[in-house]
Amino acid sequence: LCSFSSCSSWLPQRVPLRGNHWQSSLLTPRTALPVRAQPKKKKKVDVKREQAQKDRMKKKLKKLERAAPELIPIEDFITPLKYSDGSRVRSLPPLSPEETERRVLLLKKWCLFKQRQDEAEKKAIQTLVESQQEALKELRLESEELYQAAIRRDEGLFPFEREGPTYTPPLPGYDPPEGKCVDITKVYTQ
Amino acid sequence: AVLSCHRSYRSRPTHGIGRYKYLLPKEGPKRKKERVQMKEISPGTEFEFGDVNIQMTSYDLCLVEHFAQYVHRLCNRLGIRVIESYAMPTKTNEVLFLEERGSKMQLDAVLTTHQRVVQIRGLSSTFAPILLEMIQSSQPEGVHLLMKQHTEADFKRRLKSRPELEELLAQMS
Repeated sequence: LCSFSSCSSWLPQRVPLRGNHWQSSLLTPRTALPVRAQPKKKKKVDVKREQAQKDRMKKKLKKLERAAPELIPIEDFITPLKYSDGSRVRSLPPLSPEETERRVLLLKKWCLFKQRQDEAEKKAIQTLVESQQEALKELRLESEELYQAAIRRDEGLFPFEREGPTYTPPLPGYDPPEGKCVDITKVYTQ
Repeated sequence: AVLSCHRSYRSRPTHGIGRYKYLLPKEGPKRKKERVQMKEISPGTEFEFGDVNIQMTSYDLCLVEHFAQYVHRLCNRLGIRVIESYAMPTKTNEVLFLEERGSKMQLDAVLTTHQRVVQIRGLSSTFAPILLEMIQSSQPEGVHLLMKQHTEADFKRRLKSRPELEELLAQMS
């Protein structure tokens, strides 16, 4: 390299310095053309390696995709092992005849109560449906347009959310202690 | 020396003497493990709702189970088609609170949230408010009711997560 720099010193400025054939262009003196032998090998090997890697990944992907997705097991339905111990047996005391009589009569009263409740529910549904049908019939007589609009499904109905009633609703002026809720649900992965 | 053969000759009357498989009931084709596939979600017509999910959530397991059973039986009685009735995975929460005089968080309770889902199809638009009314009137305490359309995302929440697959997909694209 030092020899080339020496020859550049006596060359007139107009003649471009073309002695250094590794220089690709005059404008970019810093970058040089890649050296012949080694980098091309690197390119080939790189491409091959990359291809092989991609193929391996695709194969892995196909294998994983073929496996069917599994449902998360529900902990409610798995009885804990401590309850499957057969040695613990409950022994109930014998009941007196009055007690059995009382229980049987109570059971009958409960059955009657539930039957009445169920019948009331069925009756309520029936009356609701009947009154609705009557109202729709009257509406149809009034105007066909309104009837058609009423028959259509209500998009605003869903989603519908409602909290159940509580025995102890939240107190208005209560100041709860500071704390946090940590989610410790077990995460299942396939 | 005469060779003793155990082959049955078709001409002999003892041919097929050991057969018994024809006497057993037919088994049918061997069933492979059924893949968990999402059932098709019907969009519903103008006068009928498609797939509707009735989701019941509560801290109390027995209440929520019994309520789900009640809703299922009610739908059966009213002729509404119930497609599926399943349970969503249980969520466990640890409630910690800060002591009055102290900086340490103390464990208050471990709460488990249970959720049951009843999926129905073909609910007519005129009957929907009546059904809602009946379910609301018999809603037990502490049970949170949610009724919404069924989507694929709801189904995906029931499945296990596959981080490897997702990683590979992210790498590929």
